Amino acid sequence: MLSAIKHGNRKVLLSMFLMGLGQLLYGQIAKGIIFLLIQAMGLWFFIGFGAKAIYGFFSLGALVADPSVGLAGDNSVVMLITGIFAFIMLGLYIACYISNVKGAYNTQLREGCGLPPARFITELKDMADGGFHKSALFLPVIGVCVFNILPIVYMILIAFTDYGGDIVPPALVSWTGLSSFARIISLGQFAPTFSKILQWNALWAIMSTAINYMCGLGLALLLNKPCVKGKTFWRAFPVLAYAVPGFITLIGFKFMFSYGGPINQMITEAGGRAVGFLDLDAKWTARLIGLLVNAWIAIPSSMLLATGILSNMDNSLYESATIDGAGAWKRFKSITLPFVLFATMPVLITQFIGNFNNFGIFYFLRGGLYIDGYFLASDTDLLINWLYNLSIDNNYYSIGAAISLIIFAITSAVALAVYMLSPSYRQEEMFK
Amino acid sequence: MLKRAAAIGLHAILIIGLIGFFGFRGNISRSEAAESSIAASAYSPRFTGELEHGVTIRVLENDTAIQQGYFEELIDAFNAAYAEQGIKAVDANMDQYLDLENDGPYGYGPDVLYQANDVLMKYVDGNHILALPPDALEAWEQIPASAWEAYQAQGGIYGVPVNIQAPVLYYRSDMIPDNWRDEWDGDKNGVPDMLESWGAMYRFSRGIREGNPAAYGYMKSLWDPYFALGYLFSYGGYIFGEDTYDIGLSAGDAAIGAGVIRQLASVMNEDCIDDTVTKNGYAKLASGEYFAVMTTPDVYTLFTKEFNLAGTPVDNLGVAAVPALPADGDLSGPGAELIPFKVMGGVNGYAVSSYTKAPNACLAFVNFASGYDMMLRRNALLGIVPARADAASEAGGLSEMVNKKLADNEIVIMPSVRALAQVWTPAGTLFSDIAKDPYRPQGEMKYTEAAAFQEGLEKAGQQIYDAIHTLQ
Repeated sequence: MLSAIKHGNRKVLLSMFLMGLGQLLYGQIAKGIIFLLIQAMGLWFFIGFGAKAIYGFFSLGALVADPSVGLAGDNSVVMLITGIFAFIMLGLYIACYISNVKGAYNTQLREGCGLPPARFITELKDMADGGFHKSALFLPVIGVCVFNILPIVYMILIAFTDYGGDIVPPALVSWTGLSSFARIISLGQFAPTFSKILQWNALWAIMSTAINYMCGLGLALLLNKPCVKGKTFWRAFPVLAYAVPGFITLIGFKFMFSYGGPINQMITEAGGRAVGFLDLDAKWTARLIGLLVNAWIAIPSSMLLATGILSNMDNSLYESATIDGAGAWKRFKSITLPFVLFATMPVLITQFIGNFNNFGIFYFLRGGLYIDGYFLASDTDLLINWLYNLSIDNNYYSIGAAISLIIFAITSAVALAVYMLSPSYRQEEMFK
Repeated sequence: MLKRAAAIGLHAILIIGLIGFFGFRGNISRSEAAESSIAASAYSPRFTGELEHGVTIRVLENDTAIQQGYFEELIDAFNAAYAEQGIKAVDANMDQYLDLENDGPYGYGPDVLYQANDVLMKYVDGNHILALPPDALEAWEQIPASAWEAYQAQGGIYGVPVNIQAPVLYYRSDMIPDNWRDEWDGDKNGVPDMLESWGAMYRFSRGIREGNPAAYGYMKSLWDPYFALGYLFSYGGYIFGEDTYDIGLSAGDAAIGAGVIRQLASVMNEDCIDDTVTKNGYAKLASGEYFAVMTTPDVYTLFTKEFNLAGTPVDNLGVAAVPALPADGDLSGPGAELIPFKVMGGVNGYAVSSYTKAPNACLAFVNFASGYDMMLRRNALLGIVPARADAASEAGGLSEMVNKKLADNEIVIMPSVRALAQVWTPAGTLFSDIAKDPYRPQGEMKYTEAAAFQEGLEKAGQQIYDAIHTLQ
């Protein structure tokens, strides 16, 4: 692009002024018309919608709606979303503009080499060949922008507004900069609870990921043994547990461990006293039950993953190791585990993040408790549950978005560090 | 170089200019908008009195009314009555816990909603429901002022009360001893003492347990704030005073009420700590394992179903007002002076969505559904307590009794404010803690003296305050 600005001729200059003009002057009629159409569509978009959306992105509306008298008014949240969409479209427009200028400049260079301007058909063929990655990814990138980037950017931007509490549509939302973050940092009540929950959250994420992974791998190894009869039959049981929706499993376990549930019934019928497995005094019992229930839900997926990877193992490695005198534990430690870890490290990191942000387990098992020493939280709540209590339950979306960004910073830093240190990244060639 | 940079600059200016010009033209500033705001009135000007013809209105009813067939009867009757005008009511077929605030602006939601007053009134902020014209409400004269109060805000009326929700006592009349007139009617008024006094209920429950450890007298999931808050109210506690900054869970002698909860827990079992009794209460009352439970009038049919399943005659199911409390809070004592139990209640009713295209037809539906005939039918099919005095009087029994309690200010209506949502978790945690206390080992009990109850109530009040105001 910079070369085009420095060395472009008059035709390139005209393309800079009006998209497609240079191409038309070079005789590239079809390409020129397409760029002209893009230019026209861009103008149409900005005149009809984009300009208003971009202005609305900054203003977030002015007229408060009053549906009781039929006054439509402005919806700040919709304006924020449409504003982001307009910016994405502006980005696409700029990308097309750059492509237009570069295209004209490339034709100038071809002309300089004595070559005729590339024909439209030839350029289409090039797009399907040398530039295939661009043409193949064009539509998916648009989809990613609209369905992934837009919601993520929207959620991030919410942290910089006063959206939530009493300020929900039809009330107008305003930009407040970093005030949500400042409020979180300045509130004295938050720090001790944040620290306690973060410690438990880290322990939970490590423990649950390790239990699920190792048990899944163990089960897969067990069911891989030639001596096990009816493997398909046995594999079906964990898959059944996996197939039941998670929240139904959690509600079922909550009932099982409740005072009136079957476990306590058996205890009382045997002459014992009912145990409060999940009540407000049951800090570590509830945490342990959480780990076990999570294992029940997650081990099947780990098992299936490990089963698939183990099927790719080179058996000659085991045979050689056995000949060299390696025992079962040594073979597992030196061959199986490194191989499986190498292949599943990215999944393991995903599982760690998933467990770190596992909202459902304690929300369904032990929700609705505020415990002494915690600020609007219980001793089994994870950061994500606390975030829910503080923001969604209280309607404070901007604070919720700010806390999620903090959680994101923590989890992404951990994930990145673990991945960079893992064999999957450092010894990529080892298992190839 | 300069020319080419200028060409790019001109192109950029064109786009930025378009955004600036058309963006600015399409919007107005907040100060301009403030000048153009519409003056508020006591009720929505959209109620012109002229029915919209040929419209379909979607009505959101409660699930029990739909399941029991009442709603079908209601819309059939309404559609027949308004067939000439071409107005048709249909089931909105939406989740009864929908969120009009978030869904309404995007065109999703019913035209008429039936919900509890605290749920409906949160929609007043933002004008998601319409202020109704009192003169056009046919039930205006028949519904007591205390029920209308639940729907008053900003000088307007936002809903029409249909039924009063307040806890009542369901009990097994056949489990009352045959000699109750001699043993359990101290005041000789012809009503068993255990249905009139919590002290007598406590002693009766203890007697049942001593006779058969597997049987219980009064049982309840005591953690449930909707029912447990009444013990605090009766001794001077309250949720919100003038505003949500004034939280009065520990006000007056509320600690005595908290002590009553602990005493009641001691004659139950650990099931009172969580929601086990809420779930199994219907079946266990039917089987005779429990003598009495406290719940709302609208679940009467669930009890009758369980009685039929258990083969217990439905005649054995008794319903009474919640007993009175001893002024000193000592359930095991002689209980000389009794004070009324101030229960927490709610008023379910109809409201009209601001997003409806046919407000006048909706108002006609609300008037029809809250009419005398439909109220009596609703009472007969669902066992609800009509808010209309004439229908309650005609229905008699429980309906009349609950209406009288409302008139006597013995029902504290749930505050119609959004902040009420922050009350349930702190209060539920506290009541769960108190209910658990008798089942803790001797040295680990927390609530062994009045100061501990006071401290617990103050802590719960602080949590409510924090939940509402910390991030405000």
